[in-house]
Amino acid sequence: MTHTSLRRLVIGAGIAVIALGAAACGGSKAQPVLHIYTWADYVKPDLVARFEAENGCTVVIDTFDSNEAMYAKLKAGASGYDLITPTSYMVSLMQSQGMLQPLNRDWLPNLIHIDSDYLAISLDPKMDHSVPYMMTNTGIAYLKSKVADFKPSWGMFDRTDLKGRTVMLNDMRETIGAALKFLGYSLNSTNPEELNKAKDVVLRWRANLAKFENEQYKTGIASGEFLLVHGYSGDILQVQGENADIVFAMPQEGGVISCDDLVIAKTASEVKLAHAFINFVHDPKVAAENTEFIQYLCPNKDAYPLLSEAIRTNPGIFLAPELRAKCEVLADLGAANALYVKIWDEIKAGK
Amino acid sequence: MKRSRFPFLVTGAVLIFFWLPILVLIIQSFNAARFGGAWQGFSFKWYARLFHEPAIWEAARNTLLIALVVTLVSLVLGTTSALALHRFAKSRLQRFHYTLIYTPLVVPEILMGISLLMAFVAAGLRLGMITIVLAHVTFCISYVALVVLGRLQDFDFTIVEAARDLGANGWTAARRILLPMLAPGLAAAGLIAFTLSVDDFVITFFVAGPGATTLPIRVYSMIKHGATPLINALSTLLLLVTFGTVFLSQRLSKSGAMEGGI
Repeated sequence: MTHTSLRRLVIGAGIAVIALGAAACGGSKAQPVLHIYTWADYVKPDLVARFEAENGCTVVIDTFDSNEAMYAKLKAGASGYDLITPTSYMVSLMQSQGMLQPLNRDWLPNLIHIDSDYLAISLDPKMDHSVPYMMTNTGIAYLKSKVADFKPSWGMFDRTDLKGRTVMLNDMRETIGAALKFLGYSLNSTNPEELNKAKDVVLRWRANLAKFENEQYKTGIASGEFLLVHGYSGDILQVQGENADIVFAMPQEGGVISCDDLVIAKTASEVKLAHAFINFVHDPKVAAENTEFIQYLCPNKDAYPLLSEAIRTNPGIFLAPELRAKCEVLADLGAANALYVKIWDEIKAGK
Repeated sequence: MKRSRFPFLVTGAVLIFFWLPILVLIIQSFNAARFGGAWQGFSFKWYARLFHEPAIWEAARNTLLIALVVTLVSLVLGTTSALALHRFAKSRLQRFHYTLIYTPLVVPEILMGISLLMAFVAAGLRLGMITIVLAHVTFCISYVALVVLGRLQDFDFTIVEAARDLGANGWTAARRILLPMLAPGLAAAGLIAFTLSVDDFVITFFVAGPGATTLPIRVYSMIKHGATPLINALSTLLLLVTFGTVFLSQRLSKSGAMEGGI
C-alpha cells in the first residue's frame, strides 16, 4: 500500500462515515416520520405513498420475521417503532406486559367499518389496544383430480383411501384444534374430557398421515406427492399459482382464523400519526385495495363489496359469514397450555 | 509408481459440497416457477421484479454502507491490537487482552445480540445504523486481529530495524515498510470483516433501529410471504459482487505486494 493509496483510504473512510451520519439522520428533519414495524410486503406501496402525501409525513417501514423475535427485541428495550403488526396471540402477551398504548377512538372514525362478526371472536373485541389488520385461515387443500368426492370437513383425514398421502400441521394448537372442531368443541377448550376425545381423533387420523409437517407440505402438494394437506391459506394461495389443480376449502365445522393486528407501541413518538395510519388502512376503499395486493382479507365489512369476484369466491381468502362465525382465533391459554403439550407428546409417541 | 487418486477425489467431493448448493440457487434464480419444485422455463422475470422493489435496494444500500464502515474501523482497531499483542506477547496484560479478543468468537450470537441491545439501551443510544456498526465492529475486530496476528508471527522485523537504522522515524517505518508488507494480510482481514458484516442476521436484528433494515433482515422477513425466487436472484447478484470484490482485491494485493517488495 503506497502513500497515496493510504491517503485515499482515509478520505474514503471519512466520506463513508459522513454518509452514514447523513443516512442515520434521515435527511428530512422537517417532516414527521412514522416508523412501522411489520412483515415484509405487508402493505401496498402505492397506499403508503398516498398516506405520505395526504399527511405530509414520511413512512419508514422495517421488517421482522417472527413474532417471538420481535417481542424479544422490544422486551429488551428496543424502541423507535410507532406502529407494529403482531399476530393476535402476541398482542395479548404484549398488552399484558404493558408494551402497548390504549387507542384513542376519536382519531379512528373508520373503525365503524370493521366486521363485527370478526370482532365477536377476536381477542380484543372492544379494540381497546389493537385493531385487526389482515386475516388468514387454516383449512384443507387438496388436488381436485386425485381426490374423489371431497367434502369440506375435517373428517377427510379419516379417509383410508388417501392413506400415506396426507399431511397435517406439526403444530399442537392447530392440529388438536382441528380435532376439537371436528367434534364440535371450541378449539380453545381446556376441558380435559374434550381434549382426550380430540386426542383419540388425532391418533385415528395419524394412522392415515404421511407426517406432521409445517413447511414442505406446500411443495409436496404442488408436486403431487401429497393429495390432501392441512395448511395455512396464505401458503396455499401461493402454491395455487404453480399447480391449478390445488383447491383450498374451509371445513364446514370451522377452523382457525389468525389475524395480525395494528398496535401502537408504548414508546411510540408519533402517536397521532400512527392513529391516522390505522384509520387510513380501514377506509373501505383502501382496505379493499390492500386486500387485493396482499391476498389476505382485511376484516372491513364495507370493503367486502368492493373486492373483486376472484377474491370473494376464494375460500382461502373470503369465508361466507355463516362459516366465519364457526371459526375461532387461537387464544393464549396460559397454564392450560401444559394439557395440550402433554396430549401432543402422547400423539407424537403414538400412545 | 501410480499416484494416489485419493487427494483428487477428496478435492472433488469438497468442491461439490461447497458449490452445488450455490449452483442450484443460481439455476433456480432463472426458473420461472415460484416454488423451486419443477422447472417451468428459463426466465429473467425475478431479476426484472427485483428492480421494482425499492425496499430491497434500500436494504442493500444500508448493508453495504454499514459493511464498508465496519471494515475500515475494524481494520484500524484490529491491526493495532494485533500489533500490541505481538509486541508485548509475554506481558500478563496482553494475555488478558488476547482472551478479550478471542471471546467474541466463542460467545453465541443471540447472547451477544441481546446483551449489546441492552447495553445500547442502558447507554441511551438511539438504535439505528450507528448501533449496527458498533455491534459489527465488536466481533469483526477479533477476526481482523487474529488474521493480522498470524501474519505478524512470520514477519521479519529486522527490515523495520534496518529502516530505522537508515534514518526513518517510527511513523515513516510503519507507513513505508510495515503497512505495505502487511497489505495482503490486511486485505484478507478486511474481506473477512466485510463478509461477516454483510452476512450477519442475529446480532443485527437485535441492534437495528427504525429505518436501518439490512438485507439479511429483509430477506428473512420475505420468506414469510414466500417470494423465494426473488431472494435467489438477489443472492446471485450478491455472489457476483462478492466474486468481483475478491478478484479485485487479489489483483490489488498482488500489485501492492510487488510495489512494497521492490
